[in-house]
Amino acid sequence: MALARVEHLTFAYPGADQPALEDMSLEIAPGELVALLGATGSGKSTLLRALAGLVPHFHGGRFDGRVVVAGLDTRVTRPAELAGTVATLFQEPEDQVVLTRVLAGVSFGLENLGVRPDAIVPRARDALAAVGAEHLIERAVAELSGGELQRVCLASMLALEPQLLLLDEPSSQLDRDAAEALFEHARARRWAVVVAEQRPELPLEYADRVVFLADGRIVEEVPSEWTDTPFRQVTACHLADEVVRLEDVSFAYNGGPPVLVEESLSVRRGEVVALVGPNGIGKTTLAKLAAGLLAASAGRVLRFGRATYLPQDPGRYLVAETVLDEVALAVGKERARHALARVDLATFADRHPRDLSSGERERLAIACVLAPEPDLLVLDEPTRGVDPKRKLELAALLRGEAATRATLVVTHDRAFATAVADRIEALGTDAVLV
Amino acid sequence: MDQPGNGAEAVSPVPAAALLAALVFAALFVNSVWIVAAIVLTLLAACLRAPRVRRRMYLVTVGVSSGMVFLLWPWLQNTGSHPFWHGPIVPVLGELTVTREELRLAGVYALRFGAVGLASAVYALLLDHDRLLGSASWARRSALAVALATRLVPTLERDAHGLVEALRGRGVETEGVRRRARLLSPLLAGSLERGLNLAEAMEARGYGRAGRTRVPPPAWTRLDCVALAVAPAIVLGALWL
Repeated sequence: MALARVEHLTFAYPGADQPALEDMSLEIAPGELVALLGATGSGKSTLLRALAGLVPHFHGGRFDGRVVVAGLDTRVTRPAELAGTVATLFQEPEDQVVLTRVLAGVSFGLENLGVRPDAIVPRARDALAAVGAEHLIERAVAELSGGELQRVCLASMLALEPQLLLLDEPSSQLDRDAAEALFEHARARRWAVVVAEQRPELPLEYADRVVFLADGRIVEEVPSEWTDTPFRQVTACHLADEVVRLEDVSFAYNGGPPVLVEESLSVRRGEVVALVGPNGIGKTTLAKLAAGLLAASAGRVLRFGRATYLPQDPGRYLVAETVLDEVALAVGKERARHALARVDLATFADRHPRDLSSGERERLAIACVLAPEPDLLVLDEPTRGVDPKRKLELAALLRGEAATRATLVVTHDRAFATAVADRIEALGTDAVLV
Repeated sequence: MDQPGNGAEAVSPVPAAALLAALVFAALFVNSVWIVAAIVLTLLAACLRAPRVRRRMYLVTVGVSSGMVFLLWPWLQNTGSHPFWHGPIVPVLGELTVTREELRLAGVYALRFGAVGLASAVYALLLDHDRLLGSASWARRSALAVALATRLVPTLERDAHGLVEALRGRGVETEGVRRRARLLSPLLAGSLERGLNLAEAMEARGYGRAGRTRVPPPAWTRLDCVALAVAPAIVLGALWL
């Protein structure tokens, strides 16, 4: 018997012309792991929300059809009542933390479910251990890196011991070890898992079934770019002068423990370097040091030329009223139009940046850092929320313009790193992986 | 009080909150400048235990606001018979004078304002809001609303820092009042988005469901008991004085 059943579901958000999901039917068996794939805006997140009861209860909109989870019809069962049976991990870890300390945050859901008081802390501790985050238990959430925060949010879900685990891009900020631990944990407990992903490599290894969405409908054929290993786009590059050199740099935030200790890195013009490593190892800090946004507390940073830096989740940091004005902030309108054309957003020039989808915002932010034509381009997790087709386009863009600058890419996306980088540096080791 | 981040604990959050409330009550009801000044100094000393980076914004806000109260108060009233300064005659308003009595009152009100501001800063910076919330066996929704509202300031601070860093990373100048003012609208839009996402995440984790339990709070220490006894004593002392 199915654990969850979606029957002819059609749903449109309030004010939307087109339905986000159209006549969708799906069954999920107990213990089954379903990889939910599809381009940005194809309806993956909406389907997860429908399975959690958040659609329609939280979002409103037009809802036809039926979703039944563990015998509960979501039309008459509120999401809070489904919690525990279902656990949902959303895309943005920063927006899911209710309390200020890790232990309290993980315990929050258990308290809401009415778990026996003396069992709450042990369950929270076990869940943190399952995602390799037990050492964070006493920490304040404000001190955590993006990846550590993602682990804490995952632990909050695992602690609920749900029958159905819904994961919306869990690996966007997770390293491979943590993502593997998550799937192993769910499999060992025979929980059903539906995982929506833009980085399908790992879910495809674990999935019992793949469901591919396009325009709110299930499509039988999975496009090859989702299942094939990305084509390595690197050709022999001509290395010119060094653009940035970090020599034995160390760094600590506000007198806290050191985040980086005597790390060195060099990037030359014409070269694309990918920086990888586990969560919390200091990749973002090293990238900011390279871009000149932080000053090293010890060691030396030599930079020759202009640097631009794309932060994680750049869609949050858009300030202008139109897409064109956003890019033109630093460079003027002519160069801004050219940069928008390079990321295929020229037709969006007059739109408000916050009206764009998350993937479009990401591309807009990339246009903003490309427009000044930097000597050093630093990108921090540029493929978060970007589907494989757009990822390939980004890789082609970076490779096509590689000769004009030095490029440093911080990423957990090994496939993207392999496709785009001349050299992959693993932070915390001396290894050069490619 | 707890210092977030370093785990140093002196007084549990509930007695600490009671102590803060008692000090605010005393500052508002006592008329002696010296006693109110002593309360302000006590709260300032507590505030200085917070990390420098986090406390700076609170201290600057409280200092500037209290200074404004002190400067403006004498012009907003007309009391006292011992002129301290004679100003020009302004049409409609008449002669602008500042008396010693007005200055004294301005000092008291500025200090009271400072005491309330510093108590809020100590609450925001040093109390463990999770434990405070966990101790709220009744009115938990209100306690959670207060805890989330308290988090708004550091969250906005972090968002503002992220915005400035993102713009600097694109080579956009961010210095100057006009450039900083441009950040207000995206900050507001961002916090609205964040608020909606948080509400959704809370609902998905069973918030609002009946039969809630809570992690057993740790036992109170002797210092907690002392703080709880001192708080009502401060209130009674303020009423007596």
